[in-house]
Amino acid sequence: MSKKTYLSGDLSKNSLEAPRFSCSLAGAYGTTLGICGGVPILHSGAGCGIGQLFGTLYAGGQGAGGNEGGTSTPCSCLVEEHVVFGGENKLRDLIQSTIEIFNGDLFVVISGCVPSLIGDDVDNIVGEFRNKASIVHVNAPGFKGHSHEGYELFFEAIIDQLLTEKPVQKKLVNIFGIIPYNHVFWKGELSTVKKLLASIGIEANIIFTEENGIRNIDSIPSAEYNILLSTWNGHRIVKKLEEKFKTPFITFPNVPIGAKQTAQFLRTVGDKLEVDSELIERFIKKEESWVYRYMEYPGDAIILVRPNSYFAVVSDTNTAIGITKFLTNELGYLPDIIEITDNPPEEYHELIRKEILDNIDTVVKPEIIFETDTYKIRQNLEGRAFQFLFSSSIEAPTAMEDFSALHISVSFPVYNRSVLVHNYAGYDGGLSLIEDLVSTFVGPL
Amino acid sequence: MSNEEYDFIDLNKNTCPSREQRANGTNVYYGKASKLSKNAKEGKVLCSERKFQQSGGCVLNFYLSVRVPTIRDAVTIFNSPVGCSASALGYRELYRGVPVELGRPAQYNLNWLTTNLQQEDVIYGANEKLKETILEAEHRYSPKAIFILTSCTTGIIGEDIEGAVNSVQPKVKAKIVPVHCEGVRSRLVQTGYDAFWHGVLKYLVKQPRKKQEDLVNVASMLSYTWQDRLEIKRLLGKLDLRVNFIPEFATVDQFEILSEAALTAPICPTYTDYLSKGLEKEFNVPYFLYPSPTGIKNTDEWLRQIGKFTNKEDEVEDLIKEEHKIWKPKMETIQEKLIGLHENGEKIRVLGSLGQGRLVNQMPFFDELGLQAPAAMAQDFDDLLIEFLDDIIEKHGDFDLMVNTFQAAEQANITSNIDPDLTLTCPFQGGSWERDNNVTRIHSLRGDADPWSTQSGYAGAVAFGNFLLQAFKNRSYNKTLSEKTPKSYKDWWYQQPDPLYYVEKGGSK
Repeated sequence: MSKKTYLSGDLSKNSLEAPRFSCSLAGAYGTTLGICGGVPILHSGAGCGIGQLFGTLYAGGQGAGGNEGGTSTPCSCLVEEHVVFGGENKLRDLIQSTIEIFNGDLFVVISGCVPSLIGDDVDNIVGEFRNKASIVHVNAPGFKGHSHEGYELFFEAIIDQLLTEKPVQKKLVNIFGIIPYNHVFWKGELSTVKKLLASIGIEANIIFTEENGIRNIDSIPSAEYNILLSTWNGHRIVKKLEEKFKTPFITFPNVPIGAKQTAQFLRTVGDKLEVDSELIERFIKKEESWVYRYMEYPGDAIILVRPNSYFAVVSDTNTAIGITKFLTNELGYLPDIIEITDNPPEEYHELIRKEILDNIDTVVKPEIIFETDTYKIRQNLEGRAFQFLFSSSIEAPTAMEDFSALHISVSFPVYNRSVLVHNYAGYDGGLSLIEDLVSTFVGPL
Repeated sequence: MSNEEYDFIDLNKNTCPSREQRANGTNVYYGKASKLSKNAKEGKVLCSERKFQQSGGCVLNFYLSVRVPTIRDAVTIFNSPVGCSASALGYRELYRGVPVELGRPAQYNLNWLTTNLQQEDVIYGANEKLKETILEAEHRYSPKAIFILTSCTTGIIGEDIEGAVNSVQPKVKAKIVPVHCEGVRSRLVQTGYDAFWHGVLKYLVKQPRKKQEDLVNVASMLSYTWQDRLEIKRLLGKLDLRVNFIPEFATVDQFEILSEAALTAPICPTYTDYLSKGLEKEFNVPYFLYPSPTGIKNTDEWLRQIGKFTNKEDEVEDLIKEEHKIWKPKMETIQEKLIGLHENGEKIRVLGSLGQGRLVNQMPFFDELGLQAPAAMAQDFDDLLIEFLDDIIEKHGDFDLMVNTFQAAEQANITSNIDPDLTLTCPFQGGSWERDNNVTRIHSLRGDADPWSTQSGYAGAVAFGNFLLQAFKNRSYNKTLSEKTPKSYKDWWYQQPDPLYYVEKGGSK
């Protein structure tokens, strides 16, 4: 294996081979499209919407953009004459016409690379429309950050430009840390978390996917707590909400997968929000009784065909932590290598490492690598013991010939499965993960 | 043809002119096709600004970003911020669905990198970064070619791409091919095709070592499927001709020998134009641009044109006869069924969303199928196809033509106003696919290897006819969604008569 490289400097700012994320404009765009009634207005070149249709929406589990996505997305379509004379007039016309024509509740102007390079005063233009519609400006040039940054920028803009203080509603929480499209199971994860919390008497504002997205956005300051389901995504958002509205937050490393993680999640939330612990324990007991019976069904297939197997996870942070803990702690599988592909800032690396290594019930300690370059990701996978590869669909067609591994697509980009309600969160989710896993190898026994 | 006509191709230059510059292309029109043709001849076709516009694609991110990285034994480098290449993330999967039995090589690798431009690169320039990336690409893969795709950002900050390429070329074996596809350089995404072919002609095509009289270049768009390749191969194979399919999923060698072919044949004239003319100008490879093998009559004529250039005119006539025996009866059955759809025997009215290349080929095919096309939507229009458009108007009759590049609201407006029996949508969910009438796609994509999706040649004419018939058999998906989901736009938009309501009058070049 050759370690020689011509690339110098900070890894995350380097040239990269097929990195598994897009730019900050893309992140803000996908996040806006996750909100029912959210209309993105791209102030950018004409290709940014269609580019992210292929590169964010289709890549996020084959989700087309709906009424406001893809080629339907309003866009200032900047060309040379705007570069010379400025794009402000074009943007003003675009916002005005978008408000006239679109059935939308929240208009989100997202500035890309071009206006940033030519110095358009977008804040000023957007300001002209504040009394005409709910509108915010997200300044998200692609050269300033990756998709995950776009999610933070979106909510920072919402908090700064739109939200006002509201009376706190007891037992209402907001959910953060699940990024539309970039966490490919976002839709199912959010609704699962909502149902789980409802079963212990807590109402969750999941912001995305539900009708009346603008009402969900407006009620963010009413929450008693913010719940963060990510080691590093959404942290700026909840801190900002704490500063501005004094809403405390509870952080979890990931979306809980399977019975053990879910029980821990429910107990922690219940404790903070003063839910009767007996009610929680009754719920957990009831769920575990059927879940663990279900886990007996694939038992023969697992024990006869692929017991105690080594696996590799190449994914975003949330997914890597959740899947590794579940397979290791509930299925007796052996984590061989984990590659984190979503480029968390350096200061989170130790936390992520610790979260995995301190919470797995096996003598096998996986190698944990932070890598965003697909060439290096693939090099790191060579000559290893793993029999299963949980990763993006980039590896799907050749996982067997390249690594002798069965493949399951779980992390961005996922082009080879249509993800609607499917997800690995909660009790059902753990079982879904087992279904996906066992279905790769099971046949007549 | 005299070479003066090809003055716009100057391989000493870094890139091609834009379609606005070289062919008076426009991004907007709605009215009679005859009037557009007249305007074009009088040089009155202009680009206009829209007060309301939607993301219809740029020079890089409509076509090139997704397709250049499918060239084998090459590496593509996006000299751009990280988002411009995200659309290429499907690269390793695009062709894997094609069974090896159908001619897909069992093993191959496709590779691309992005320079992942950062704030500091924008301030200080990224020339060194590009050079490093080229060296790294060479080191990783020893490719035969390295394509550099530029972006809005490199264009605006004025990166010296050729400077970087020239300084690093002596250190790498791969031929470096810069492609100037800055998104802001043109309103017309078709400029991207020309920019790509310019790079190919300038850097990759070699002087012919020998003439290959049985080799036919076919440049095919993404909107043609694997089965189209097989059908074209089958037909030309019967004439003892071989096909050189470029650029998608081709090897670099296939580009190098473009100069050796007997001719360049089109399956999409607007796409192939710059390459065909460049190959004639630089290497005396003849070409024709019309028709494409869409429908039976077009396929006949397409084969005849190829026969002329390869001295196989008699063989072509024999082939046509032989093929007609097989396919014509099938076509007649389809026609009968399509005509039978309306109880009163009226023709089915179809509205298609097409590129201009498809427009001039698909309209006669609609006629052949017994469909009526009172209007058509074209992605683009420029001078290149005027004579073909005139030919269509003469044969087909005049029709309403809308020119726009994926402007979904304008498409929704005319779809709603014309209310065709069948809408053929380019499937990016723009326009109005949720409607209480029949909707299907106009074309499938390259990776689709199902014979059902064929559209070229004789097999494609019949397959597509059957495909259209299927669209009339069940409309529950689009109908249900139109009932159960909110409309994109407010009611006034659908009701007002002018789809170009937001287009600024006047215009510019």
